[in-house]
Amino acid sequence: MSFLMSRALARLVCGHHRHSVLSVRTCSTQTPDSSTHPTLSQVLDNVTSQLSAAQVPEPALSAQYLLSCCLLPQADLHSARPVLAQDWRQAPAQHLSPAQATTLHRLVQCRLARMPVQYILGNWDFHNITIQVRPPVFIPRPETEQLVDLVLSSLPPPVPGQHLHLLEVGPGSGAVSLAILSARQDLLVTCVERSQAAVELTRDNTSLLGLVDRLEVVQGKVEPGAQLEGLHEEYHLVFSNPPYILRKDLMALEPEISLYEDLRALDGGAKGLDVILPIIELAGEKLPKGGLLMLEVDPCHPHILPTKLESLDTSMVVDRVVEDFTGKERFMVLRKT
Amino acid sequence: MLSVRPVLPSLLRSLPSILSRHKSHIDKSSVPRLDQADLQEKVTLGSGPGGQAVNKTANAVFLKHLPTGLWVKCHQTRSVEMNRKIAKQLLVIKLDNLVNGENSVENQKKTNEKIKLERKKEKTRLKYEQRKLESLKEQSEGQDGEIS
Repeated sequence: MSFLMSRALARLVCGHHRHSVLSVRTCSTQTPDSSTHPTLSQVLDNVTSQLSAAQVPEPALSAQYLLSCCLLPQADLHSARPVLAQDWRQAPAQHLSPAQATTLHRLVQCRLARMPVQYILGNWDFHNITIQVRPPVFIPRPETEQLVDLVLSSLPPPVPGQHLHLLEVGPGSGAVSLAILSARQDLLVTCVERSQAAVELTRDNTSLLGLVDRLEVVQGKVEPGAQLEGLHEEYHLVFSNPPYILRKDLMALEPEISLYEDLRALDGGAKGLDVILPIIELAGEKLPKGGLLMLEVDPCHPHILPTKLESLDTSMVVDRVVEDFTGKERFMVLRKT
Repeated sequence: MLSVRPVLPSLLRSLPSILSRHKSHIDKSSVPRLDQADLQEKVTLGSGPGGQAVNKTANAVFLKHLPTGLWVKCHQTRSVEMNRKIAKQLLVIKLDNLVNGENSVENQKKTNEKIKLERKKEKTRLKYEQRKLESLKEQSEGQDGEIS
């Protein structure tokens, strides 16, 4: 299965996170040629050409991130220090040390194997926070940052001494919940997550951001008839970026996604609604009257969901549809009646 | 006998006019406000399905103010929302400079920095003059015990 192969590949080539770093010699690649001592600018051009020739998407931007990453002190690799593409520009005439060249070589091999840049760096920015990311847990997408603002803008002003309890289904890396919690001090969040790897990553990121007292993760799968343990009776608001890709579109995904990310975080079934519908039912049970459910969806869902809702035994109705910054219908707000 | 011109008193007299311009207060009242309807925003995510189906690292935000044609492009952070916020801030600065000229916040700050620098130079010059005067005084006292 490509999923397992990709995990093995990740361990072998990149020595990610908890796994030991293998030396370059064990990879079936050439060792870097250090005899010519190129400048950073030249290194950048070389890496860009190499990636471009291999038809790796975003070759120039990837090269910048990889170069910035190899210039970090060894201890910072895979920590949550943000690696910005422009770090290297401070000294374009500088040369790489042998250790840095070796690191860069390893990183380039990972990118040639189509490992997403975010996994190679080990961390990524999302909204107002920086989080760790690691395969196979789903990497947060830029559109989802808008879900954070949607949730925040719908909450009443904070009342001293009072807390609002929110529920997220499928936190993945924990990005959305943690960005929301970072923005407001009066919120408490419960997350339900089916993937053990994602549960661990969400907990790691929660510790990293010092939010352990405000976010709890429950392992479980939201499906029809599921009896989930560890949830409260009621939540003020429910939100989710659930798997919503239609099965037919799953085949067309680029290798960065199909080889490295957990496809269970993407596969929404034939109509992309296999997880969305049970979430709507769960929200109907956990929300008070007038309570909101906010979902990121596929652009076809605003058109097919209303009819589906009628066949469900639920009190949830569509309140509104919100476009993302590319103009696609990306978010749906449902309300409990 | 040395004749020492009273240089110091005249400098002291001109100090207040220099110092009175010392104000770190920036007038922000005429900073233009951006009307959402006047803005055109484009995020470089490319075409295609977007959302979960795509994983791209490019997230540059291009923001244009339609009435004036001013535009900014921001790719400073790895977060789209952050880039959008920064792009808006940068566009406000550009618009402020265009509309308010030397009274824009940015130019007010530059002027204040210039004044600060001038004051510093003036202070140093005064110190130097004072020391020169004192050493001349000592010299003339040493010669004939009189100050003229």
